[in-house]
Amino acid sequence: MNDDRKPLSAKAKEVGQRIGSLRDFLEFLEENGQCVTWSDEVYPEPDIRNVAVAAGRDANTGPAVIFSNIAGYPGKKLVLGVHGSFTNLALLLGHPKGTTIKELFYDIISRWGDDEPLLDFIEPEDAPVNQNRLTENFNLYELLPLYRINEYDGGFYIGKANVVSRDPRDPDNFGKQNVGIYRIQVQAPGEFTLLSVPAHDMGRHIMAAEADNVPLKISVMLGNHPAMCMFAATPVGYEESEFAYASQMMGSPLRLTKSGNGMDILADSEMVIEAELMNGVRTLEGPFGEFPGSYSGARRIPRFKITAISHRNDPIFENIYIGRGWTEHDTLIGLNTSAPIYAQLKKDFPEVVAVNALYQHGLTGIISVKNRFAGFAKSVAMRALGTPHGTMYLKNLIMVDDDVDPFDLNEVMWALSTRTRADDTIVIPNMPMIPIDPAAEIAGKGHRLIIDATSFMPPDKLGSDSKIVTPPAGPEIDEIAKVIQLLQNGGKS
Amino acid sequence: MSLCPRCQSANDQIRTEHKGLNAQGELVWTIFHCNACEFSWRDCEPAISIDYDTREAFFRIDPKKDYPVIMPPAQYK
Repeated sequence: MNDDRKPLSAKAKEVGQRIGSLRDFLEFLEENGQCVTWSDEVYPEPDIRNVAVAAGRDANTGPAVIFSNIAGYPGKKLVLGVHGSFTNLALLLGHPKGTTIKELFYDIISRWGDDEPLLDFIEPEDAPVNQNRLTENFNLYELLPLYRINEYDGGFYIGKANVVSRDPRDPDNFGKQNVGIYRIQVQAPGEFTLLSVPAHDMGRHIMAAEADNVPLKISVMLGNHPAMCMFAATPVGYEESEFAYASQMMGSPLRLTKSGNGMDILADSEMVIEAELMNGVRTLEGPFGEFPGSYSGARRIPRFKITAISHRNDPIFENIYIGRGWTEHDTLIGLNTSAPIYAQLKKDFPEVVAVNALYQHGLTGIISVKNRFAGFAKSVAMRALGTPHGTMYLKNLIMVDDDVDPFDLNEVMWALSTRTRADDTIVIPNMPMIPIDPAAEIAGKGHRLIIDATSFMPPDKLGSDSKIVTPPAGPEIDEIAKVIQLLQNGGKS
Repeated sequence: MSLCPRCQSANDQIRTEHKGLNAQGELVWTIFHCNACEFSWRDCEPAISIDYDTREAFFRIDPKKDYPVIMPPAQYK
């Protein structure tokens, strides 16, 4: 199924076996200097936002930050930035600090798939998430150190929950059970709104439940295994299980159990909120600072009522800073947005080398492809627009040759500067588009831009006398670069 | 807190949601919620979030206005 599949390294296996939960990962990050504790007192606003943004400035090496002293929340802990840097992702995959984004991309590709899931099922009474269980008097404001993420958000948001729902028309189908990240606004101590749209799997579940007038039960998992968060944000197929993908990526079993309302949930999460859709109810929600870096407006959206809450002792609330990029959102989902587009393109076009859809959930994508004949890259671009994620997101596509690393923007700019003709760009008007694109003339519709920055090929004669300089490259040069870095750092790597 | 900082609805529309206490049990802040525009806020937040006149007018909400409905429900209750 996946020709790029490779066995995991010994280190990757070791890390996979060690990390079974958020707590395990935080400990591992801390040992590697990638998790810090902010123990000075902070006020929920604006202090948490300020610290989160400052810590997230460095997308390559920024740490996770644990807040242990939040005014009005004695004893409660909050963590931000768990997926906030590529170094944190590298450690999760068993790589050393300094691993390049391109190396991480190829490693994720080599683990991609859901055909060999590793899932252990344990009894609910043995699951740490069930150490405490509430069945009445729910108060999210008390249980979680909630705060306003951006200053004009309409309320207090839970931005990194992994929400499990089942297809109401096929409730026993494990694959159609969905795990996704949706923004959740707390609307009352025991009620919240959840934003989904018809294009989401969750949106399909909501519409089916309301059309058939049957209950839609969900389980909202908070403080999860770090691989789960990555796949809850990944556009996998409707009948594919995010649990299966996450376990396969780690190469180690994920421990699942049953929630009180019948969902499969992670046994080691910090908290699971069980809730039921209030059929037909829509509540004013938003604005919310979203991933394009602008606020999405106020809308009336579906509302849920809490029916039970399970949590570990002293649960850690994991949340995310999201807004104008670069933010944790971009690191969390970037590689897992790129990988499925690559996998889908590769089936038809083995010439595709790599896909970089890191920017704003793929609103801009850069695809490296080996041109088979003149104009070939444009055909590949058209196919990319037809992939499930491309249909709604790939607004700007830059096509580069196979000798250009799409993750190295200096190289991409070189290709744009030297290999693009103004008439090698295509605009396709009035295509589908995610409704929160701030540049849209009509929300939900937009134009697509393809820039062909690949080199000229026969029968095109133009530019054929352009001979590229070949600078020295390869392992020898990589080694020299490391030596120079050592010299620069006074002998310390 | 007499009026909603976002829509200026009167006090009778505002619920007290939760009081945050310190380890000694003393009041640190209070969270409110407006039934009219569904805004939630904490009384110790910076003025840019909770003071009507300081907030950008763009973010005001008129609860009587029709806002877009996501996935119009099959059955209205």
